[in-house]
Amino acid sequence: MSGHGTPNRYRQQATHTIRDEPYVRESVLSGTDRANDHRNHAYAEIDADRWRDWGRDAKTHTLTNLDRYLEEAERNLEANGVRVHWAETAADALTVLRGIVREHDVRSVVKAKSMLTEELGVNEHLERLNVRVRETDLGEYIVQIMGEPPSHIVAPVMHLSLDDCRQIFQQVLGTPRHGTPEELVAAARKALRQEFLAADLGISGGNFLVAETGTVALIENEGNIRLSTSLPRVHVAFVGIEKLIPRFEDLAGFIQLTARAATGQPIGNYVSFIQGPKKDDEVDGPEEVHVVLVDNGRTTLLADEAAWEALRCVRCGACLNICPVYRQTGGHAYGWTYSGPIGAIIAPGILGLEEALPLPFASSLCGACADVCPVRIPIPELLLHWRERAVEEGLTPLTERVGLEAYTRAATHPLLFRAGGTLLRRTPWQLGGTALPILKGWTQERTTPEPSPKSFQALWKEGIE
Amino acid sequence: MRVSLFATCLGDQFYADACADAVRLLRHLGAEVDVPAGQTCCGQPAYNAGRRVDAQAMARHTSKVLDGSDYVVLPSGSCAGMIRCFYPELLVGDGARAHALAQRTFELSQFVVEVLGVQRLGDGLSGSTVGYHHSCHALRELGVREAPLELLAGCGAAVVDWPAAEECCGFGGLFSAKLPEVSAAMADRKLDTLPEVDFVTSTDGGCLMQLSGRAGKRGRGPVFRHLASALWQGVQGGVRA
Amino acid sequence: MSARERVLERVRSACQERERTEHPGAFESRDAGADPASRLTTLATMLEAAGAEVVRVDGMVEAGKWVRRFANDFESVSVGVTVPSQLRPTISTKGSHEAALGLSMARAAIAETGSLLMDARDGRRTQLLVPTHVVFVYQADVHPTFRGALSSVRADLPSAIGLHSGPSKSADIAQTLVTGVHGPGRLIVVLVA
Ligand code: SF4
Repeated sequence: MSGHGTPNRYRQQATHTIRDEPYVRESVLSGTDRANDHRNHAYAEIDADRWRDWGRDAKTHTLTNLDRYLEEAERNLEANGVRVHWAETAADALTVLRGIVREHDVRSVVKAKSMLTEELGVNEHLERLNVRVRETDLGEYIVQIMGEPPSHIVAPVMHLSLDDCRQIFQQVLGTPRHGTPEELVAAARKALRQEFLAADLGISGGNFLVAETGTVALIENEGNIRLSTSLPRVHVAFVGIEKLIPRFEDLAGFIQLTARAATGQPIGNYVSFIQGPKKDDEVDGPEEVHVVLVDNGRTTLLADEAAWEALRCVRCGACLNICPVYRQTGGHAYGWTYSGPIGAIIAPGILGLEEALPLPFASSLCGACADVCPVRIPIPELLLHWRERAVEEGLTPLTERVGLEAYTRAATHPLLFRAGGTLLRRTPWQLGGTALPILKGWTQERTTPEPSPKSFQALWKEGIE
Repeated sequence: MRVSLFATCLGDQFYADACADAVRLLRHLGAEVDVPAGQTCCGQPAYNAGRRVDAQAMARHTSKVLDGSDYVVLPSGSCAGMIRCFYPELLVGDGARAHALAQRTFELSQFVVEVLGVQRLGDGLSGSTVGYHHSCHALRELGVREAPLELLAGCGAAVVDWPAAEECCGFGGLFSAKLPEVSAAMADRKLDTLPEVDFVTSTDGGCLMQLSGRAGKRGRGPVFRHLASALWQGVQGGVRA
Repeated sequence: MSARERVLERVRSACQERERTEHPGAFESRDAGADPASRLTTLATMLEAAGAEVVRVDGMVEAGKWVRRFANDFESVSVGVTVPSQLRPTISTKGSHEAALGLSMARAAIAETGSLLMDARDGRRTQLLVPTHVVFVYQADVHPTFRGALSSVRADLPSAIGLHSGPSKSADIAQTLVTGVHGPGRLIVVLVA
């Protein structure tokens, strides 16, 4: 299984999945087909264009006023009795976590699904601190057992078949070799219930953070997020600074839009609005709630003249589901936390352009993602933006640069261009292939295209009947 | 009505017959067709590779070549999309010219339906079943979805329901050569979901080259024909190679 | 400089570079119907579509009768703090992590999404740990829109609100829908007139 790659090896990782793990492609194609159907239906039930305009505008407003909303959120969180921490980097965030673990003598942690904690490496850090950490989202639980990262931001095990899951559950929980999904889930419920009841600390992410009320909002279907944020005596929420929204009422728009885009549901079966620790007139709930506001490259994106728009993302995964590139491999090929189109446009901000380099090029620029994004992020434009930056910084291959410069010279000098065409018609491509790697890439997977016997220009000159 | 045909670099070298059929079709519909001298490439390969300066040079060249035309028609959704959607932003300092050019530029089927108002060409495709591949840029940049389908149906063809009809074929210019394995898997998905047809057609030569090249490598697959040729056959009747 | 200052400083300078845009105004969704009857129908339809069961009762007396009859099939019950005494069944009570049945009172409901608004003051464990969860909601507390429901509770927020819109479910394993993953596998909503 390919789970621990790097973005720089995207082509090798993708090729490995396509050639050696054909069942991954099959699972991902059928999973994304289903998600696309659900989303299409859910969008058709509403005035999707108007809702998406609203989502775009409300997020753009928040991001262009993020300084004051962050301060407002901090004030209100603290007024609610929440302890607020700021983390400039992943290391900062982990230091905060270590402090909380030490202060409360935490031995075991239950985790609700959170991509940000994947990005930060929270699990590995807790293991180094000898803390038992258990993912509780069913899909996350499975990948944790397998020692893999999730392959999709909403559906972590989209790459696995029923039989893959059966094998894992048989090994770990002793379920029957041909157990039904119901039997597997019942075994997981039983095992994880004990973990919930015993855990000292619950860790979550946050889908939204409301500035006006200091509310952390979370969407899910299983109930594990509600349990992780309700049962343990301490709750820590890691929230990216781009997750802010201005008003409590705005949750109505964002939660519905996100659910419809992600799974086609009108709303997740469970939504949590966390205000703070248990109050005096309440019988249960955590005694302490912490919110860690995480930057980790987000301000780099915010400062970028184009890429800042990617910060509108609500992590619904719709762009992954529709992406024909993602659909051939699933998420592991991308080699980091966020895969697919959204991953490709935020990777350069979070990892640095050189490290992220192949990802903005891992797209045919078909534009399907922009058609489904609930907050109308112009993903193809941002992919192009990073490509242009890569060219400016001299990070693209020399052959490509030389080739395209020569091509441009020809294309702006018609006689030269015509001569090139004639040459093309006389030179077999296989021969050219040895000289130009770009042609080799083509002929490796396809037959050589036959140039027309005469160019159109020649036909035109002869006269067309 | 005067129409300038922009054959595109790929059309000129690889789909010369289709370009000639586009000329025949436009003439048949009453247009006076010219092919502006000095036309080369719209600049899209460089643009999509992030080479903005190169793309600008080609856009400048192309916009000059196409000066003075009443309408510009391309047998390609991708290159028409490049001119319509990206020239205005690329040709900074020459905005008026770029905007005017964008306004009068059309993909072939779009031009026939939207400008000429023609839907029925003939019945030369009666009895044939056809798969139509929507090129991404025709579909999503130009918003051309119905025009080619209407024209094919108007020639008597039965356009089959193809689940992956609107999915990318995996061409994407340099993408197909930089990431050939992923690109080929994308083409496979298209080919694997294709029902039995007499031929597959599309308005973009790049997509056809990708799909036919992949089908050829797999050793099986349908016949591919450029939309311009399919439509001219629709006018004329009879099967042409 | 602290991490806080460094992050805020960078956010400020990015915001200064860019034009500040206006908030687009309140989110307007579909109107779930101004009249109470259609509101209830929408709520019930949405809940059922998400896999919940819906019961309508005419007043507290009937609700009490219904719950006592229903509870007879269960061994034990855990009851939320704000559930009125008339709605408490006579079977034995147990802690929420052992009880076979849980009863909760919803603070409000949302027709457009088919959601019950569960207040932490009712007790979170009963809302989450029981396998079968019965939730009472007064028909007068049903809001047509999500936004309307939010603005009605905004001034008085508990430590947590949970919106429950169906049974606990997952489709993670081979995209097959399974209920009762971590939360209640059965959700019965009693709409009390
Ligand atoms: S970029 Fe848009 S479609 Fe993709 S995950 Fe983010 S919000 Fe969803």
